[in-house]
Amino acid sequence: MLDEALRLENIYLSRNELSGTMFSIPRAVSYFENIRTSKSSEDNQLIAGANLTLKLGETICIGGPSGKGKSAILRLIAGLARPLKGHIYYFGEYIPSEKLTALEVAKRQVGYVLQNAALISNLRVVDNIALPLRYHKMGTEEEISKKVQMAMDLMRVRDYAKMFPHELSVGMQKRVAIARSWAMDPKLLLMDEPTAGLDNYNRRNLLPLIDNMRTMFKTSIIIVTHDLMIAKELDCNLVFLHQKKLTEPHSFDYWLHSDNEISKDQFRDLQSVSPNI
Amino acid sequence: MEKTRLKNWQKMTPVGRLFHTLGIFILKTRMGQLIALFLRTVASLFDKSHNFKSDSRNIIMQTFFTGVEIFPPLFIVATLFGTVTIIEVISLMGKMGMSGFVGDLMVVVLIREMGPILTAFLIAGRTGSSLTTYIGGMVINSEVDALATMGINPIRYLVMPSVIGGTIATIIMNIFFSASAVGAGFLVTKAIIFVTGNAPNLQITWSYLSTEITKALTIPDFVFAVVKPLVFGIIITTNACYQGLNIKRDIRQVPKATSRSVISSFLYIVFADVVLSLYYFISYMNNLSTLI
Repeated sequence: MLDEALRLENIYLSRNELSGTMFSIPRAVSYFENIRTSKSSEDNQLIAGANLTLKLGETICIGGPSGKGKSAILRLIAGLARPLKGHIYYFGEYIPSEKLTALEVAKRQVGYVLQNAALISNLRVVDNIALPLRYHKMGTEEEISKKVQMAMDLMRVRDYAKMFPHELSVGMQKRVAIARSWAMDPKLLLMDEPTAGLDNYNRRNLLPLIDNMRTMFKTSIIIVTHDLMIAKELDCNLVFLHQKKLTEPHSFDYWLHSDNEISKDQFRDLQSVSPNI
Repeated sequence: MEKTRLKNWQKMTPVGRLFHTLGIFILKTRMGQLIALFLRTVASLFDKSHNFKSDSRNIIMQTFFTGVEIFPPLFIVATLFGTVTIIEVISLMGKMGMSGFVGDLMVVVLIREMGPILTAFLIAGRTGSSLTTYIGGMVINSEVDALATMGINPIRYLVMPSVIGGTIATIIMNIFFSASAVGAGFLVTKAIIFVTGNAPNLQITWSYLSTEITKALTIPDFVFAVVKPLVFGIIITTNACYQGLNIKRDIRQVPKATSRSVISSFLYIVFADVVLSLYYFISYMNNLSTLI
């Protein structure tokens, strides 16, 4: 039994892939279009030669300056963007590039919380959370409603169950989106800025939930965030996207005290207030 | 990676390579992608996760959405169009001394040709454009991406109910159109005769009109009253969903895609109508040869 949840090997990603997935076009066409664009210039490459290994039950935070392709990496892992080159292994299983679609990845129980929550706007909060459960027939109607209630209790959105997404604030939408992903029992959860838009109280409530997920359900989690304190509070490793590559994972304290360029950029404020220095 | 791709390419036999190139060429054209989308929609009916209850609910909602709200304008258009046709045909045929062909001409104009086309145009203008904006808005809010990452096939969840519901509604609306063009059209004609004191100089009764029309109706007319709106409905809804899903993540693309959806639907409908009417052309040809 392999103990790795995800492995990226020498991934190259082009900027063209960020324009969105075309569900109208058959998979084969965009695959062969991709070959044509792979000969494009190096400036168009957003990520060049990234490597990452994630063990089962491990949590990792990806940091880095904005606009350098952190969210693109999550889109890539979720199957919404397709790499130019490179191999992606999910739970030890290699999916070839021509088969790599979001539906194929979702079959392997990979959950994804998008940056703008992306709730279905014509469904109420309850139905939003229950939608994937009903679609995949995960249990009877009672089991589903029980699961939905549990997810809503966990994220404290039960009072808003009958509301539409546009009636909620951004932070609340994000909590509903996390509840929706949680209800699916993902084995690998990708979170794009989970704490952006959350107040301190809800942020503090979110962190134990993430902690619970990885200890109780052995969920592997990848968090893309600017809130680097999460890494310290969850006691997980930090990876930075630097010069189109992912760095080696190290702990928060290592980055805080090391003397390289990334630390100087990202930890300047923290270093100045830290009593250890 | 590049090498393995090249190897796969070289592994193919020349015939396989030819078919591969041909297939990719067809799939790159818009028509090929439309047909592929329709086939994928049909294939998605037999997905593992089919749920009869929620599917039928979605389809019925889409049918009502397409059908009920289009009914008032469709009824008015059908009635007035029927009135004009009845008055013109009867007065023209009377003048030319071919009163025996009134029923034939009415069937050709109202039921065979203009009924399905006008219904399809109205539905393309309303349902087609609203489907494109609805799906395009979902694409831009990345709701479609979210659906896919939850393992929900967007084609099954969004396109399939629209195509089936829209097609059913188009068939029903076409029958309504033909019925109200003849029925309500006759009533309005009578009203015009009554109000103007028979200014058009028409002698028209319901029994005359109905016997003429039923005499002229043939079995192919009944078949095509279902087949034509079926084809048109599939064209409208598939094209609308295709244009909606084809939007890149840019809000300015939505109005462009909507107008493109409506206009290209009109175009495809007329082409399909010509292709379907070939049946009648061929039967006319056969009749001609028997006459000669």
